[in-house]
Amino acid sequence: MDILQGIISVLIILGFAPLFIGLVNKQKAKLTGRIGAPILQPYYELQRLFKKETINANTSSFISRFSPLLNFVSLITAAAMLPVGFWKPLISFNGDIILFAYILGLSRFFQILAAMDIGSSFEGMGAAREATFALFAEPIFFFTIGSISFISGYTSLFDIYHSIQLDNISYEVFIVICSISVFMLAVTECSRMPVDDPNTHLELTMIHEVMILDNSGLDLFLYQYSSYIKLFIYTILEISFFYPFSQQSYLVGILIFVFGSLVLSLALAVVETITSRYKMKNIPQYLLFATAIGILNLLIYTFTK
Amino acid sequence: MNSLLNSDNILFTSAFAIQFISIAFLFIKDQHKALFAANTVLLIGLTLGLFSTISSALFSSAEISLQSIFFNFIRLDELGTFFLFIIQLVAIPTTIYNFSYLSHYIEENRSIKSFVIFYVLLLISTQFIVIANQAILFLVSWEIMSITGYLGMMLEKEKEEVQKGSFYYFAASHVLIFILYIMFFLLHQQTGSWFFSDYHLSFSTGIVVPIIFILSFIGFGIKAGFMPFHFWLPQAHPIAPTVLSAFLSGVIIKMGIYGILRTYLFIKPVPEWAGWFILIVSIISAIFGVWYALAQHDIKRLLAYHSIENIGIIGIGIGIGFIGSANNLPAVEVLGFGGALLHTLNHAIFKSLLFIGSGVVYQNLGTRNIELMGGIVHRAKYIAILFLIGSVAISGVPPFNGFISEFIIYTGFFKTANELKNFYPILMLMFVVGLAFVGGLAVACFTKVNSIMFLGSERKAVKHFYTSIYDYISLGIFALLCIVIGFYPQPFVGIVNKVIVSNFVSSHPSSALINIDWLFFTIIFSIIALGIFFLFLLKGKLEKKFGKRTSPAWGCGYENINPRMQYTASSFADELNEISKSVLVYHKKVEVSNTAFPLPSKFESHSNDFVDSKIVLPSYKFLSFLVMKIKFLSQTDIRYYIGFILIIITIYSLIAFLW
Repeated sequence: MDILQGIISVLIILGFAPLFIGLVNKQKAKLTGRIGAPILQPYYELQRLFKKETINANTSSFISRFSPLLNFVSLITAAAMLPVGFWKPLISFNGDIILFAYILGLSRFFQILAAMDIGSSFEGMGAAREATFALFAEPIFFFTIGSISFISGYTSLFDIYHSIQLDNISYEVFIVICSISVFMLAVTECSRMPVDDPNTHLELTMIHEVMILDNSGLDLFLYQYSSYIKLFIYTILEISFFYPFSQQSYLVGILIFVFGSLVLSLALAVVETITSRYKMKNIPQYLLFATAIGILNLLIYTFTK
Repeated sequence: MNSLLNSDNILFTSAFAIQFISIAFLFIKDQHKALFAANTVLLIGLTLGLFSTISSALFSSAEISLQSIFFNFIRLDELGTFFLFIIQLVAIPTTIYNFSYLSHYIEENRSIKSFVIFYVLLLISTQFIVIANQAILFLVSWEIMSITGYLGMMLEKEKEEVQKGSFYYFAASHVLIFILYIMFFLLHQQTGSWFFSDYHLSFSTGIVVPIIFILSFIGFGIKAGFMPFHFWLPQAHPIAPTVLSAFLSGVIIKMGIYGILRTYLFIKPVPEWAGWFILIVSIISAIFGVWYALAQHDIKRLLAYHSIENIGIIGIGIGIGFIGSANNLPAVEVLGFGGALLHTLNHAIFKSLLFIGSGVVYQNLGTRNIELMGGIVHRAKYIAILFLIGSVAISGVPPFNGFISEFIIYTGFFKTANELKNFYPILMLMFVVGLAFVGGLAVACFTKVNSIMFLGSERKAVKHFYTSIYDYISLGIFALLCIVIGFYPQPFVGIVNKVIVSNFVSSHPSSALINIDWLFFTIIFSIIALGIFFLFLLKGKLEKKFGKRTSPAWGCGYENINPRMQYTASSFADELNEISKSVLVYHKKVEVSNTAFPLPSKFESHSNDFVDSKIVLPSYKFLSFLVMKIKFLSQTDIRYYIGFILIIITIYSLIAFLW
């Protein structure tokens, strides 16, 4: 039963990931006064890319062909560690929080390599930025979800989330601020505004998009799909803070999942509408700010406990 | 002693004898033949040694019993056997690489015979260090190891950088052995014995044991390369012949770790401050080691800084073990020391792989500067793949072996926080974040190395890229070990667990290390590998259907793209180096002409080591200044010296008399 639930969780993530991004884009369009593409547009995009010819750069090597596959598989693996609703994820064991962070690191490692594989300065620029910002993003994960892990004493994502009992006020505040940090992390990791502009048209100003500039067809399909999954993974990391784990019912689970996704997509759309992209050299400050929130939050919680 | 003639001992002894005999084959006149014969015999000796190590109690299911031979001078306990295993495991592929590496030198008409002698002696003395059960034997082996290492480094002795770099090694080794002398004299004075098996001291007895601990940490720490004492590593590694730098980084600096652990066994249990001391020194080593590495252009120097980082990670494990020992928590001890020991093995494997891989590149391009490399993947695909495996492993990224040992260390942090509650969770969380940060920096650094060295197009064109079968065998063995330990860690964790349970933990054997669900890793990693494989097949099919081709990369419409326009290592790491400017002593000079007809502009960047440039060199200068002051004592007449000796002897005798 656990395995079945785990498989369904992964399928939910895989199936709804493009929908989520479509939702964000639609709301963003509405907020900026446009009609916007249909919500299902990401699915059409994926379908289109799937049927395209695959073109690789002359200078590229096996890395360019290998990296999209690895990226996709490792993100599915990460998705399989996430609890969707009250369900036990497919992969869950003591210490999987470390594996989760490092599997995402693996996908990043090869994405950077694949970008550098082209030998063009555009991709190089994106790769260097990705490596630098990822470095500052890493502590945020551990200061939020890691600190809940240390407080509760559990080391599996499933148990960590289940240990959250929103019963006293200081813990509630702690969790809410953690969720803000995670939101800032998600913005960075998934290349959204104000860190990266997914819709920009100038190669010099991109991070994620410029890394996959020379990919097309199936490679691009895999990269795009992985990036949708990644955004949805972070969404679930965020929503999972707010399940009432003490009373488990399917209805509540589904309601919170849907409602949470809607709220988050709206939040992303609002943030993308009202902010512009930061200067590249200010991004470490932004990330250190999120880290500082995490540290302060943890300290305050420890001393008011 | 009792059973000198039993089969295990014969195998063990003959392995050493055969390794020693290999020197005799250097009398063959033809250098190629001599190298081949000596190296083959050495390999046979090492393989026999490895067999005898693996057949020992540590690796079989038999009950562990102490093996003492040669009147107790030599003892194979579990810790020693484990390090012996590491030495032999690394020495075999490194020696295989010798075949191709040294033949390059023979073609240059250089005599390599003396190098081979030093190399053999280095291997043997290193093995003796870990099996020695007696302080004098230990110190003599240690000294032979240091000196043969130094002499081996001098293979290209006419080069100035070689003289300079090897002198760093020589000086550091001698400061170190001096400290070790004091330490062992103190141990002898406390226990009245020279045998390791008699050393059982306790911290509570006074000031001497803490002094022994500090001395051992400084002495062995210099060898291991913990942060304030690391300055010799980045100087010595680049100039050493590749086989030697592989062995130096893979094994010899691990002798420092061995020393620290051995001393711990003499003085356990340690108080908690010792654990915190090591933890803090280690996290500093780890973070700054890798940050310095990021700024390097010289591939071997970069790898040397990475050794400092990894020694830091090993040290973190030891620190957790110490904290567990202080609080009498066997579970924490097992995880801490277990992570440290497994990382020692892992680092020995992947660091040797990376050094040998960089050696293959160096032989072909004639430069260690990664800014001049690039596009090697199009020339030697498999070298690139093997090097990549090592890079993934050293970054601590799954599914290879580096991840497994880091995972144990992370689990150690969680366990410590859980067991000790109080303010420990927050402190441990800081270290977790530190370690994660180190992991991120390592990813940045090794994506840089791989992409600048191997990917893109060639910055420096070479006609042929020569690789020999020996390169592939040697690198292949290391890469295979990386994969095996990553995908199937269970047996290796079992061995490490056995070492700790029998040597380190005083109370009941704990199974914290075994209790981790290692099978999960095997399953998950296999699924990832299989998933990639099936996707690969599927993608191939779809590409047949929808088409696949190559075309030039996008250059905003610009057609004349040349290799010099690629992103360089400096630009890749620029942002991170800017942030760390103050500690890195990182210099960047840009000269751009602003005239109407721009002249060629210039850019250069380099980094100095903080400890080296701000502490070691100034104090060395000060010392030589002082020495120059008493230079007037130096006379040509021998009678003056006899006079000095008389005066000194008189002073000594007076002191001795009056004491």
